[in-house]
Amino acid sequence: MNTAFSKDELAFQDEVREFLGDYRELDGFYCQGHKWPEVRAMFRAMAEKNWLALSWPKAFGGMALGPVYEFILWNEVAYARAARNPLAAGIVAQTLIRYGSSAQQRDWLPRIRSGEIHFSLCYSEPEAGSDLAALRLRADKNAAGTHYVLNGQKCWQSYAQDMDYLWVLARSGTQESRGRGISLFICDKHAAGVTVSPLPTLDGDQLNEVFFDAVEVPLAQRVGEENGAWPMIGEALADERHIQFPPGRVRRDLEDMVAWLNANGLGADPVVRQRLAELTVQVMETEMLALKVLEAMVKGVNATVDAAMNKISHTLACQDIARAVLDFGGPEALVSGARPELLWRQTITETIGGGTSEIMRSVVSRQLLGLGG
Amino acid sequence: MDFELNEDQQAITEAIDRLLAQHAGAARAIELNREGRYDEHLHEALAAAGFSTIATDLASDHSSDLSRDKGLAGLEAALIVEAIARAGGVVASAAQMLVAPAVSAAAIAGPIALCTMDNLAKPVPLRFGAHASTLLVLGYGDVHVIPLGSDDMEAVRSSFGYPMGRLRSAERSHELLSRGDTLGPQAALAMTRWWRLSLAVEAVGTMDAALQHTVDYLKQRRQFGRAIGSFQPIQHRLALCAIQVEASRWLAREAAYHGAQDEAVAAAAAFALNAADQVFTETHQMSGAIGFTCEFNLHVWSMRLLALRQELEGVGGARRALVRARWGGGG
Ligand SMILES: Cc1cc2nc3c(=O)[nH]c(=O)nc-3n(C[C@H](O)[C@H](O)[C@H](O)COP(=O)(O)OP(=O)(O)OC[C@H]3O[C@@H](n4cnc5c(N)ncnc54)[C@H](O)[C@@H]3O)c2cc1C
Repeated sequence: MNTAFSKDELAFQDEVREFLGDYRELDGFYCQGHKWPEVRAMFRAMAEKNWLALSWPKAFGGMALGPVYEFILWNEVAYARAARNPLAAGIVAQTLIRYGSSAQQRDWLPRIRSGEIHFSLCYSEPEAGSDLAALRLRADKNAAGTHYVLNGQKCWQSYAQDMDYLWVLARSGTQESRGRGISLFICDKHAAGVTVSPLPTLDGDQLNEVFFDAVEVPLAQRVGEENGAWPMIGEALADERHIQFPPGRVRRDLEDMVAWLNANGLGADPVVRQRLAELTVQVMETEMLALKVLEAMVKGVNATVDAAMNKISHTLACQDIARAVLDFGGPEALVSGARPELLWRQTITETIGGGTSEIMRSVVSRQLLGLGG
Repeated sequence: MDFELNEDQQAITEAIDRLLAQHAGAARAIELNREGRYDEHLHEALAAAGFSTIATDLASDHSSDLSRDKGLAGLEAALIVEAIARAGGVVASAAQMLVAPAVSAAAIAGPIALCTMDNLAKPVPLRFGAHASTLLVLGYGDVHVIPLGSDDMEAVRSSFGYPMGRLRSAERSHELLSRGDTLGPQAALAMTRWWRLSLAVEAVGTMDAALQHTVDYLKQRRQFGRAIGSFQPIQHRLALCAIQVEASRWLAREAAYHGAQDEAVAAAAAFALNAADQVFTETHQMSGAIGFTCEFNLHVWSMRLLALRQELEGVGGARRALVRARWGGGG
């Protein structure tokens, strides 16, 4: 057993840290919606080092470096609070590499790799949250058979206001066919009939609703087989497990908290120190679970359970740290925009977005403990 | 033993609910909070209907069995404050109805904001601080009743469901303290007890509404072909929240009924403010993504629960007070 990184990996970590030196003040992790031009520029700069394609095969212009390098990159980016990992280079690209036609790979991958285009994930709908297989947004071929026509509504799309394309799950089969009747599309956000409207959120940022009113999507923009999206999105999710909840974010939350406590003269209080000890252990827990996910990815074994455990532990740690900051912060912590309160408001969603804690617990109880249900 | 409210108390709760149905509610709270405004209209309506002074009025009515040993009809006032919190009222009712009458027999001009001496030395955001006519400052063994000028406080933007304001600068605190009346140690003890109790009472009304809103939502929100509220893990957690709220309610009412004695108040506040965290976390979690949007009313109450936990040193302060009350000692 050896949980340490290799010499080359550590050298890469140093390189990433040096790169991020220019982005220490970016602060795009919490409210990317307020920082998109800057975040986009950073992704462009990463692309110049080909870091958006770290794990892509060489045939597609990638570096074929594997999950450890990706983990190191996005873990450091999270620690620097610079940004969240972009969907395009992850889920979208990996799916196109695995299932896209050669034309699609040729059309989309270079622009993703260069950081030119970005995608919003259009999965959830008003009636399909945890139960994604219940989604209703229709995709029907037009009479001439040249296009799909999309009708319906998505909701909770992160960053859709700023993105260029939509990665859309739509129902092409019957409603009863659930997961077996769903297809995947790339849709231009500026296509006629697409409306993105903001849903202001408690952290001062926004999610979005995306409405599709007879939106024409060329056949060439369906990814994979018709009605074949379900297994594909499962695999795409699996590709991201090691970078979706990087422990660097939690470690940084803890360090910021300690700095803040010391700055406010609270660092010596025994009650505070006791709580700090508990939180430090929680952070170490989530760091270890994140490395377990990474190990499974490196070995190419199924990481579903490890990822669920990591997500639960990571997101609870985020919330527990934020709660402690608020508790120790006193009334000063209530001022809008103060770090403690922003931390708190932002962490409310961590146990919901990307699969709720309840759904993750079900994964653990069914798949690890074999409890059925 | 009787947990039932008597006829007069029932009449009071019905009357206040009627008034609140007309003048308060989540939509109004959202509208006012957007601009950090105080609900002058509700404030006036409560005063006009006689609710603002009910604790002393009822207690001085010796023909009524509501007159209590402490010269204050604490339970009745608590029921009203609880109801206003439940309706998301943007008024400083707790300070006006529960704290002020316990501190001073003379009427104190509202809206009233509450703070400690420490909160003045290092000015922090105070609920209703920017709108208050009077600031009640809990000193070390005394209470300062300070009439505020329009220039003393500045508004502070906050997302925690109440309009906030703070003293413009710490330097002003000396002048401020010399300005008002100073009341003695009894007033300081009374202020501590009733302020802490009012936090518990407000937390109860606020938790009640947050939980009810979530329960209503989960009864109609369907996933996997069923109402989410029909899933057993969800039911169990909602049940645990309900227990916390009920226990908080009766601990707070009991403490109010008995004139806010130290130990009962500290226990009620320690319990309710701790429950407030659980109710916050659970109601948000079970509401899913919609609970994080401004369009879903949950935040009207949930964010307030966090603000209530910040006053008088929150849960920690209440726990220390409880230990002091029961076993003595400092700290
Ligand atoms: C910050 C944020 C960003 C997001 N970004 C995107 C995005 O970019 N694109 C996108 O498509 N979606 C996005 N989402 C949506 C996200 O995927 C959904 O919120 C999530 O799937 C949960 O769905 P829901 O919110 O509708 O909750 P619901 O499914 O309504 O669930 C409500 C509550 O019930 C619980 N529950 C549901 N079913 C069960 C059960 N069987 N047993 C026990 N408990 C249950 C849930 O765990 C939850 O606590 C985002 C959400 C958030 C909060």
